[in-house]
Amino acid sequence: MKNLTKMMAGGLAALLMNSGAFAQTIGPNGETATPSTEVVVADGDVEALKSGGYSAALVWHDQSDFVNAVTQGATDEFTRLGIKVVATTNASFDTAKQRSDIETVLTKEPNIVLALPLDPVASAAAFKEAVDNDVQLVFLSNVPDGYKHGEHYASIVTDDLYAMGKQAADALAADLGETGKVGWIYHDATYYVTNQRDNAFKTTIENDYPNMEIVAQAGISDPARAEDIANAMLLKHPDLAGVYVTWAGPAEGVLSALRANGNKTTKVVTLDLSEPIALDMVRGGNVSAIVADEAYELGRAMAASAARGLLGQESPAFVVAPAVTVTADNVSEGWMQSLHRDAPESVTK
Amino acid sequence: MQSTMQKLRQLNLSQYVVYIGFLLIFLFFAVTLGNDGFLTQRNLTNIVLQTAPITIMAIGLVFVLAAGEIDLSFGSIVAVAALGSAVVLGDYPLFVGVLAGLGIGLAIGFFNGVLVAYLRLPSFLVTLATMGLFAGVARSMTDLRSVPVLNESFVNMFGSGSLFGVPSLVLWTIGAVALGHFVFRETKFGAHVLATGDNARAAQVTGIKVPHVRLLVMMICGGLAGLAGLLYAGRLQAARYTLGESDLMTVIAAVIIGGTALKGGKGTIIGALVGSLMMGMLNNGLILMGLSVSDQMIVRGVIILIAVAISLRDVNN
Amino acid sequence: MDLSNTQAADVLQLTNIHKAFGGVVAIEDFSLNLKAGEIVALVGDNGAGKSTLIKIISGVHAPTSGTIAIDGKETSFKDATEARASGIEVVYQDLALADEQAVYMNMFLGREKTKGPFGQLDRKGMVQETEDLVKELDVRIPSAKTTIRNLSGGQRQGVAIARATHWATKLVLLDEPTAALGVAETAKVEENVAALKERNLAVLIISHSLDQVFRLSDRICVLRRGQQIGVRETAKTDKNEIVSMITGV
Repeated sequence: MKNLTKMMAGGLAALLMNSGAFAQTIGPNGETATPSTEVVVADGDVEALKSGGYSAALVWHDQSDFVNAVTQGATDEFTRLGIKVVATTNASFDTAKQRSDIETVLTKEPNIVLALPLDPVASAAAFKEAVDNDVQLVFLSNVPDGYKHGEHYASIVTDDLYAMGKQAADALAADLGETGKVGWIYHDATYYVTNQRDNAFKTTIENDYPNMEIVAQAGISDPARAEDIANAMLLKHPDLAGVYVTWAGPAEGVLSALRANGNKTTKVVTLDLSEPIALDMVRGGNVSAIVADEAYELGRAMAASAARGLLGQESPAFVVAPAVTVTADNVSEGWMQSLHRDAPESVTK
Repeated sequence: MQSTMQKLRQLNLSQYVVYIGFLLIFLFFAVTLGNDGFLTQRNLTNIVLQTAPITIMAIGLVFVLAAGEIDLSFGSIVAVAALGSAVVLGDYPLFVGVLAGLGIGLAIGFFNGVLVAYLRLPSFLVTLATMGLFAGVARSMTDLRSVPVLNESFVNMFGSGSLFGVPSLVLWTIGAVALGHFVFRETKFGAHVLATGDNARAAQVTGIKVPHVRLLVMMICGGLAGLAGLLYAGRLQAARYTLGESDLMTVIAAVIIGGTALKGGKGTIIGALVGSLMMGMLNNGLILMGLSVSDQMIVRGVIILIAVAISLRDVNN
Repeated sequence: MDLSNTQAADVLQLTNIHKAFGGVVAIEDFSLNLKAGEIVALVGDNGAGKSTLIKIISGVHAPTSGTIAIDGKETSFKDATEARASGIEVVYQDLALADEQAVYMNMFLGREKTKGPFGQLDRKGMVQETEDLVKELDVRIPSAKTTIRNLSGGQRQGVAIARATHWATKLVLLDEPTAALGVAETAKVEENVAALKERNLAVLIISHSLDQVFRLSDRICVLRRGQQIGVRETAKTDKNEIVSMITGV
């Protein structure tokens, strides 16, 4: 479920970043990405917001760890600013339900709506009422067709997908002494999120690490088949030094293939936090690193951008939250940084 | 005295669960959320607008269930019909697009119906299969892309428009409920549907064309799912393969709580309408209460469970 | 036996009826005439072919050979609907009642009365006719609007017979009408069957109870393994003879 969330979450971001080999995050109209840390509400403005009696609604597409962390980040920031969260909704990936959810939350006349529009085409009509009511809109990852920064919405905030893929490559290189043969297991579907992250990994290895080579690549469309694919890859290339897996779900399958082969040397890097993967990592297994997004920070930045909008301050059109590389040494900190939650007991013991 | 008791027992509590439940939930929200906009005309209208497609699908399902069959595929029909209509509207005028949507619904209903009525395959399995089949068709039709609907008269007619100040979605709901109720309750066909679902052999030996009835109820369900697809397309001004996908459980719950028997022979269109409004009101009120998403799901689940338990318990007595 | 009976024309004439399913012979050379106002009992062991015969007469099965004549006119029914249109009604062993529907809807099942330009159901009319009929036949039910589910076995049987009575103009076929009933309810149903005679309908009844057969029927027809063993006038035979015809010993 989480993977799907992430795929949806990055829809736009990837669209924006389809700008060729030189992979840098670029906004809808060519704006450069602004790091989320630059979007802050100044301490001097907090009193003004507190006295405003503002309220906010969160209109999400689905429920997951990721959404919970974003919600938590946004809610904490709103609390600091004296803004009340009056409604939270979950459309379960149903565009029609999201349309209804928007109508319903608008009944409470919130000043702010934070949302992940499920679909650029179908969302355009859905968010129109919010625009008409002068609600400060901050979007997560997707933006409805035809919406303009400043006029219709305050900011779009998203993961730094490129950074995620790049940091995965860097982490693997560091663990392998920047040398060795690498397997690349990518998501074989047109999902912008995974495609961008996967390609960033590949590009980084190819451009930055001359002694490393991607000798095997395999696409997966069904995570349940990851184990078979990994088995085939290991059979052909028993000397693989490292494997990149597109996200944590299939990485679990790859791990079980390695274990079944008694392989304790091939290193694995993957994206998104997952307890089984982290457990292998802290126990000195095959996993060398997990790269995750800072979902909590993403939520904070959304809230901050919306609050700035209420104060009449313009925020950057396109904001990216950083990625965090989690290794055995920083599991607790990494978990906190990404999901703003204590890491599962099993991996900290 | 004895006969009064007997009559009371025969009154069948389940028939009234939906009305009592609706009232109780309404009163609860009215009291607790009165200051949060629940009672505003806008919010109450919203509930009706939001449930319009659900109500329309529920009417179709009442016919199917009353006839002793089931349709699990109507959610997929919604998506295929909405997408078909949206694609056609890109190149052709309004009425062609409308016909496309309704025609797709009727055609899939016919397909289901032939398998159920003439090949006597169990409707549960047939529609379980066609649910997946047409969900796949919806996905492949436009390669998962959403299709915008730019035809303004279509959007007015099925989405945001109104006539004499009444929103078009409200008009569609009233029209479909009135016609559905009349056909179901006041015509020979409605009586034959009930008889077929109640005792297919009895219906058959008394000269009711049972296969014909089965085919028609599947077509009615398909056609109405097509109409629901048009309403979604009009409301969102776009069609997407996910439309209707998550409505299956909501619609079934609305119909059962409304007093229609899963095993056939008993049904009510008005009950389904109130059941559908109740589900919409529940969604709306729980969001307005500011509950977290997980809490909303838990509360909604518990309330539906209670309502279903009461509606079904009575049948066994 | 009164005078009108003896002079009545034969309502049903079955001549040399033969029925085979694939290679299996179910009925062999069966002939029987039924007069209006006459009750004929069809007896025989399980599998003797009684139900097959009922199905042939009611148009469910077509005979392999042989002729069926109604009022002396040879007919062949395409289906049960055609048989019904000719005035033949069947009271099935399972009664063929829709349990969740009201008595009056069952009475008019498949033949609902309608009115008005849109073909609305004429509920009032159907309720009224049902009330009149159950009163006339003395079927004691709470009301025509009662749901079948809330009736006793005897009451249900009464409704099924009343329905056949209402629609039959020639012949009523009854398949084990009292098999599942208690003593008091059986007596009531037998009264209802006897009442059919007074309406000048021909009745063919299948029963396993010889007592009942002797109480109700004018003639008894015995079947054994698809063969017609013989027909006896009830007044001129006794149980011993019938039993030996049934068992063949």
